Amino acid sequence: MRVSRRVVFAVAGSLMAATALTACGGGGSTAKGNADGVLNVGMPNGPQTDNNNPYLSSSAANSLGYKNVIFEPLALFNKVKPTDDAKPWLATKWDWSNNYQTLTLTVRDNVKWSDGQAFSADDVKFTFDLLKATAGLNHNAIPFGDTTVSGSTVTATFTSPQFVNEYKILTDTPIVPKHQWSTFKDPATDPVKDPVGTGPFKLKTFTPQTVTLDVRSDYWKDAPKVKELRYTSYTDNNAQATALATGACEWAFAFIPNAKQVFVSKDPAHNQLYFPPDLAGHGLWFNTTKAPFDNPALRQAINMVINRDDIFNQGESGYFYPPITNITGIPTPAGNSFLAPEYKSQDVKVDVAGAKAKLTGAGFTFDGNTLKDPTGKPVTMTLSDPAGWSDYQTDLEIIKDNVSKIGITATVDKANQDAWTKNVDTGNFDAVLHWTDGGATPYQLYKSIMDGDLYKPVGTPGVNGNYGRFQNADATAALKAYASAADDAGRTAAMNKLQKIFVDNMPVALTSASNLGGEYSTKNWTGWPTNDNPYADAHPTLPGALDVILNLKPAA
Amino acid sequence: MSYLLRRIAFYVLTAWAAITINFFVPRLIPGDPVQALISKQRGQLNADAIHSLYVLFGLDKQDPLWHQYVEYLGQLLRGDLGLSFTFFPSPVSEVISTSLPWTLALVGVTTVCSFLLGTGLGVLAGWRRGSWVDLVLPVTTFISSVPYFWFGLIMIELLAGPNSFFPSSGGYDPGVVPGWDIDFIGSAVQHSLLPALTILISSMSGWILSMRNMMVTVSSEDYITVAHAKGLTDRRVMLGYAARNALLPNVSGFALSLGLIVGGTLLVEIVFSYPGVGFQLFQAVGAKDYPLMQGIFLIITLSVLAANFIADLAYLVLDPRTRKEG
Repeated sequence: MRVSRRVVFAVAGSLMAATALTACGGGGSTAKGNADGVLNVGMPNGPQTDNNNPYLSSSAANSLGYKNVIFEPLALFNKVKPTDDAKPWLATKWDWSNNYQTLTLTVRDNVKWSDGQAFSADDVKFTFDLLKATAGLNHNAIPFGDTTVSGSTVTATFTSPQFVNEYKILTDTPIVPKHQWSTFKDPATDPVKDPVGTGPFKLKTFTPQTVTLDVRSDYWKDAPKVKELRYTSYTDNNAQATALATGACEWAFAFIPNAKQVFVSKDPAHNQLYFPPDLAGHGLWFNTTKAPFDNPALRQAINMVINRDDIFNQGESGYFYPPITNITGIPTPAGNSFLAPEYKSQDVKVDVAGAKAKLTGAGFTFDGNTLKDPTGKPVTMTLSDPAGWSDYQTDLEIIKDNVSKIGITATVDKANQDAWTKNVDTGNFDAVLHWTDGGATPYQLYKSIMDGDLYKPVGTPGVNGNYGRFQNADATAALKAYASAADDAGRTAAMNKLQKIFVDNMPVALTSASNLGGEYSTKNWTGWPTNDNPYADAHPTLPGALDVILNLKPAA
Repeated sequence: MSYLLRRIAFYVLTAWAAITINFFVPRLIPGDPVQALISKQRGQLNADAIHSLYVLFGLDKQDPLWHQYVEYLGQLLRGDLGLSFTFFPSPVSEVISTSLPWTLALVGVTTVCSFLLGTGLGVLAGWRRGSWVDLVLPVTTFISSVPYFWFGLIMIELLAGPNSFFPSSGGYDPGVVPGWDIDFIGSAVQHSLLPALTILISSMSGWILSMRNMMVTVSSEDYITVAHAKGLTDRRVMLGYAARNALLPNVSGFALSLGLIVGGTLLVEIVFSYPGVGFQLFQAVGAKDYPLMQGIFLIITLSVLAANFIADLAYLVLDPRTRKEG
C-alpha cells in the first residue's frame, strides 16, 4: 500500500511540476514587426479547416479573405465608387454587346499560375463553364450561356441581360486554373488543399488559427512590398479587438462596441477606422400586409421620426454602419449619381410635427397622447430582433423611444434567433430591423425590398428578400425595366421611378448603410484607402483587398 | 459470462437509441443551416447565394426524414460521419479531430488531477475528524455549489486582461504554429491554466465530499478497531484498511467521469473560447450543422457508454458479489 501511495503522489506531483515549468517557459511568439515585410490580418471567425476553395463561403480562404491574393478577378471594380470604371486585371479589355447578354474580353499575356504554367483564355472559359455546370459553386446565380475562345479572346453569352451583375461577373468571379481543376472529381466538394492561382501570394502554411502566405517572385505586376501575409482567425470579436488594440493584428473587420476607446485611443496616430458605405442598407422592415402597417402614411410618419444620428452614434458605436440620410434610402455618397433630381437634396430630418400632420391627414386621430388608426384602434407595434445582436437591440430601443413621440406604443421583443429567422421568413412580425441586399447599383437594394417576384404570402416560408411582403406591380415592372434596359436613359428612367415608388410607399425605413470597411493600423504599413483617397474598400475578405495589399508600403 | 453478454446487449441497444435521438433532435430545432448562415452574415452574403448553398448541402431535394435516417445508419456502418456544413466540404471526422485533442488534454488531465487530489484530501478529512481538517467541509460544499462557468467568468474578470499573463480566450497564441516545440507547448499550457484551474477547483470538491463520507462510515467498522488493536500504525490503518475499502464508489465514479471527458466541460470551453469539442458543439448548434452535431453527439455517447462498460468490468474485478450468478 505504501508503494502505491508514493506512486500516486509522485505522478500527481510531476504532473503539476510539468505544468508549472512549461507555463514559465512559454511567453508565446508575438507578431513580428515590419522588418520581414509581414502584414498581420485578422478576422473573428474561430478555428478554420484546411479548405481553400474560393467559391465556397464556408472555406477558410473565403472566411479569412486570403482567396483574394491567390485567385484574381478579370477586372477590379471599386465598390466604394461603384460608378467608376473597373481596373483591368486578368482581362485587358472587355465589351458588352447584345444588351449586356454577350461579353467579349481579351485576356492578359505573360501571366503565370503559381505552379509555373501559363494562364490563358481557356482558363476563363473553364471557370465560366464550371459555374454554369455546377449550381453549388455558382454563388451569384449568374445565368451563364455558352462561352467560346479564339486566341486570347473570350466570348461569353448569358441568357438574360447582365448589366446589374457586371460587378459579380468581372470582379466576384475568381478565375481558377483548368489544368488543376479539371482533375477534381467533384469541384463543389473539393477543399483545394494546394491552391494554384495567378495572384501575388501563395499558401505557405495552414493551421486552424493562422494561415501564412508568401509573396511570389514571378507575379505579373510589380512585386508587392508586403512579403508575407498572416491571416489569423480569432475566436471571437473580443479577442479580435484585443489583438487590434495591442497591435498584434494590423487589419481586421469586426464590430467593436466603443471602438474609439478600445481601439483608436490606444494609438490615435496610427489606429484608423475606415468604414465607407456600401449600396446596401439596414432598416426597419414593416409587415406591409398587416393593419395598420399596410397604410403608407403610417410608414412614412414613422420614417420621419426615427433619429438616425442616435442610431449611428449609440447603436453603431459611431462608425460601423454609416447613417442613410437620403429620403430614397440610397446610401450616400456611394449612390449620389443614382439619385433622381427631385430627391437630390432631400434628407430625412426628425420632424414630429410633420409626421403628426401626415397621420391626421390620412385619417389617423390622436386621443390625448395615443395614436388611433382610422378604425379607432390604438396603434401598437412589436419590434423584434435576436437577443444577441446588441447593436440592433440598441437601435430598436431608440426607435421605440422615437415612435412614442407620435403616440405609438412599441415593445421590443428580444427573440430567439431561430424563432426570429423563421418569423421573418414566414412574415409573422410587425416590424424588424433587417438588412437588404447590395450591389454595384441601388437595383439590388430596391429589388430585395420591392420585387413582386420575390413575394410570398404571409405564412409561406422561403422568401429571399421582400420580407415585408410588399406588393406593387409598378415596382416589379420598373425593376425588370432597369435590369434589361437597352441604354443609360432607360435605366435612369426606371431608377427614378423606383425611387418615387419607394418614397411614396416607404416599405422599409432604411436607417443605416452596410459598410465596406475595416480597422487598420498605419504603424507598419501606409498606403491604405482613406476617406480622402477611397481607391478601394477595406474589407479584408472582399476582392478589393487585393488592391489594398498591392498598394501598401512600409512606414518610414 | 451470461452477465457480460446481457450487459453487452444492453449497451448495443442503448447505442442504437442514442444514435436515433442524435439524428432526430437536431432536426426538430427550428431553422436550417442555410438560414443560420445568412443570419450570421447579416447581409454580407447575397441572397443569390442561397440557392447554391441549398444545392451544396444537399438540402434542395425533399428527401423524407425516414429515408435520410436509413441513409445515415448506412453511412455510420461504413464509418463515415458525413461532411460538415460550417466547414463545407471538410469531413466531420477531420473537424472533430482538430478539437478532440484539446478537450482530451485539458479535461483529461484536470479530471485525473482532481480525482487524485480530491480523494486524497477526502481520506484525510474523513480520518482526522474533529481537527482543523473539518474546515475543508464547509469550504468544499460552498465551492461545489458554485456553477463552474460562473467561476470561470469571475476568473477572467479578475485574472485575465490585455496585459495579463493569463489569456482570456483561445487555445494558443495566434501566430504560433502547432507542433512539438517549446513555443507552442508553452503557449498551449499558458492558455489552459485558467480553464484547468476552474474545472479543478469546482470538480475536486465532489470527490472530497464523497470520499470523506465513505471514510466516516468505514472507520466505525469492526475491522478498523481490530487493526488498531493489533498495534498497526495509524497511517497504515488509514490507507490500508479504511481508505482501501472506502475507495470503491469513488473508483466507479471516476470511470464514469472518464466518459464525460470527451463531452468536455462545455460551458468552460465556451466561457474561455477554448477550441475543444464543447466549443465546437456550441458553434455547430448555432449554425444548424447537423452532420457535425451528430458526429460530436455520437462520440460523446459512445465514450460515455464505453466508460460505463469499463466501470462495469471494474466492478466485476473489484467486488466479488457482482460475479455471483443468480
